[in-house]
Amino acid sequence: MAVGLEHYLAVAAILFTIGVFGIFLNRKNVIVILMSIELMLLAVNINLVAFSARLGDLMGQVLALLVLTVAAAEAAIGLAILVIYYRNRGTIAVDEINKLKG
Amino acid sequence: MSHLDFTAARPEIALALMAMALLLFGVFRKSRVVDAVNTLALMALAATALLVLFVPGSDRIIAFGGTFIVDAMARVMKILVIFAAGIALVMSVHYMKWERMERFEYAVLMLLSVLGMMVMISSGGLITLYLGLELQSLSLYVLAAMHRESARSAEAGLKYFVLGALASGLFLYGVSLVYGFAGTTTFAGLTQALKSGISIGLIAGLVFILAALAFKISAVPFHMWTPDVYEGAPTPVTAYFAAAPKLAAIAVFVRVLYEAFPHAEEAWRQVIVFMAIASMLLGAFAGVVQSNIKRLLAYSSIGHMGFVLVGLAAGGQEGLRGVMIYLIIYLVMTLGVFAAVIGMRRDGRPVEEIEDFAGLARTNMGLAFAIGALMFSLAGIPWLAGFFAKYFVLLSAVKTGLVALAIIGVLASVVSAFYYLRVVKVMFFDEPKEPVDPAPFELKLITALSVIFVLFYVVWPGPVTALAQAAIRPFIVP
Amino acid sequence: MIATVFFYMFAVFLLGSALLVITVRNPVHAVLFLILAFFNAAGLFLIAGAEFLAMNLIIVYVGAVMVLFLFIVMTLDVDFAELRAGMAEYLPVGLFVGLVLVVELIMVFSAWALAPEAMKLRMAPMPKDVTNTEALGRVIYTDYVLYFQLAGVILLVAMIGAIVLSLHHRKDVRRQNIADQVSRRRNEQVALVDVEPGQGLES
Repeated sequence: MAVGLEHYLAVAAILFTIGVFGIFLNRKNVIVILMSIELMLLAVNINLVAFSARLGDLMGQVLALLVLTVAAAEAAIGLAILVIYYRNRGTIAVDEINKLKG
Repeated sequence: MSHLDFTAARPEIALALMAMALLLFGVFRKSRVVDAVNTLALMALAATALLVLFVPGSDRIIAFGGTFIVDAMARVMKILVIFAAGIALVMSVHYMKWERMERFEYAVLMLLSVLGMMVMISSGGLITLYLGLELQSLSLYVLAAMHRESARSAEAGLKYFVLGALASGLFLYGVSLVYGFAGTTTFAGLTQALKSGISIGLIAGLVFILAALAFKISAVPFHMWTPDVYEGAPTPVTAYFAAAPKLAAIAVFVRVLYEAFPHAEEAWRQVIVFMAIASMLLGAFAGVVQSNIKRLLAYSSIGHMGFVLVGLAAGGQEGLRGVMIYLIIYLVMTLGVFAAVIGMRRDGRPVEEIEDFAGLARTNMGLAFAIGALMFSLAGIPWLAGFFAKYFVLLSAVKTGLVALAIIGVLASVVSAFYYLRVVKVMFFDEPKEPVDPAPFELKLITALSVIFVLFYVVWPGPVTALAQAAIRPFIVP
Repeated sequence: MIATVFFYMFAVFLLGSALLVITVRNPVHAVLFLILAFFNAAGLFLIAGAEFLAMNLIIVYVGAVMVLFLFIVMTLDVDFAELRAGMAEYLPVGLFVGLVLVVELIMVFSAWALAPEAMKLRMAPMPKDVTNTEALGRVIYTDYVLYFQLAGVILLVAMIGAIVLSLHHRKDVRRQNIADQVSRRRNEQVALVDVEPGQGLES
């Protein structure tokens, strides 16, 4: 690997944190939450690919491939739930999701 | 490096094929499709259970290059999960008609979620575990949001989804760190890699993984979703959430902690003890102010999972056996209570507020008695089944020197008794309201059987203990 | 050397566009920045030697999933300015927590140690003189066929789920039925009537 493992890990760590941060920052906005989750999974994939290169082992790439597949499935279901929620309530704001409080 | 042993995964393969066949059947059949699919799905579950019992081969089969394990614990837990799913499906039949949400995909998704849980239980590596986890979670997200016309159901699905996806992100990040340290993801390989010491990166990975698993059993501090999802989801789905996924996740906890990371015990024990204390206390105190029975049961389940974690932290033969006994008793009690709650309707509308239970004893003595017995048992009043469940895990904690943990457990149990008993008080001593509609036969039967179990466990505890002992055999060092 | 320069370029663009994803006001822009982030991540994958994943990320992920996102964002008519309103409130605390998390994670990773046995325990060592794609293909269809099949079942669940949740059969919409149209016969549909002048036609 041309670039050190630690560099990849640092990039992935920052990206992962941006993803987590995005969820807390956009608590009202489910679409941006879904995008933040995509960023977290991307960070995981960068980690996996870097470790795979460092170890000379394919398993990391196989797992990254599976993560991509599952993330696509997750996005489809998440967006479908979002659509029925929007149909019922006419908004996608999470903060307004307080029908269940108390 | 491996030989593929498809016979080990025979129940899973059969279940997947049957689910797909049911899907096709449902799509192409025109009339009365839901009843037919529900019946066939129950038969499919029964067939899968039989296959689980009769997987040929030795006591412990390791297949697919160590990524798939069939041992005694896997068999017992799979049977229990299938049992819970079957009961939940039976409980759904009338509910779906009442709420006009009859769809044949419901049973198919339930079968696929059972498949996911079976894969989780049998996982011999983190990747198999991840795929099983996602399979069950994705099916459960859809089941929670299944009642499309209800804003509450959609909301429950959305909340469950967002937090679940966050949890699986954390899980994967942890998996990537563990993989980067050990070079492998199978549990057997991890044990080997950890023999010669652990690194801080690995501990970070382990904590991420435990956090994600804690979400699945809704242990504190990852419990935020539980009350809202329990309240908003269709009630039979809630019953299913409270029973099956928790069993599967605890089985995974046992596997990950005792099979993959026994050498990192000091690291994870603190985490488990913390989660146990926090869950028991939150389950006890937050339940007190609830007015909705489904929310109350949500906090109750958080508290119960705290007790299960006590047994997990104690470990050893007694601790793990306590965990298994607890799970079996919890399963029966939970399904019984939910069957009673689903059956309670007044003028065709569900009765979910606790104050609406008022005076139930005078209008429907049998139902009030059943709910009362189950509430006493959930509270852990001697000599009902729930008491022994708590007794065994707390005893194991004392024996391994976790005395403080056991004391907190007793205190939490006393506090939580307050809200269970409040339900009983409302039913027996408050002014009666109008009588509830008569419940369908199968719901009455489930509640009755559950009550009989709870009352007479003390007379004949042998079978449960034997089952629990069989389940933990792979984890006992001779 | 060149690889290092490109690594930093991709990394900076990746992190920059990720930050923009979570902060811009316009959701369509957010999706577009997410796509940019994916492109740069694909660049990082290439440098690490994972060609197949890099291409997959662009063709499948950007091509399908991101377009789905864009589609949903454009379909749902949502006032995003309003949704962003509370953001400033959380910003300071979030920024602090985020910074602490990053610093901690990077400290943990600053010198990554492998387990002594890691090299021995590898599950699928990379074969020599085989392309990345072929090497992957050799393992996922053979030793790890279990993973492959499970991923397939997960996609099936996603398909069932999306259909169950969002497909509405509306009764008040007239739909085309090709079979009915083709099987129409002239004598069933057309009647010839001799109309007397001035009489009109009784239906």
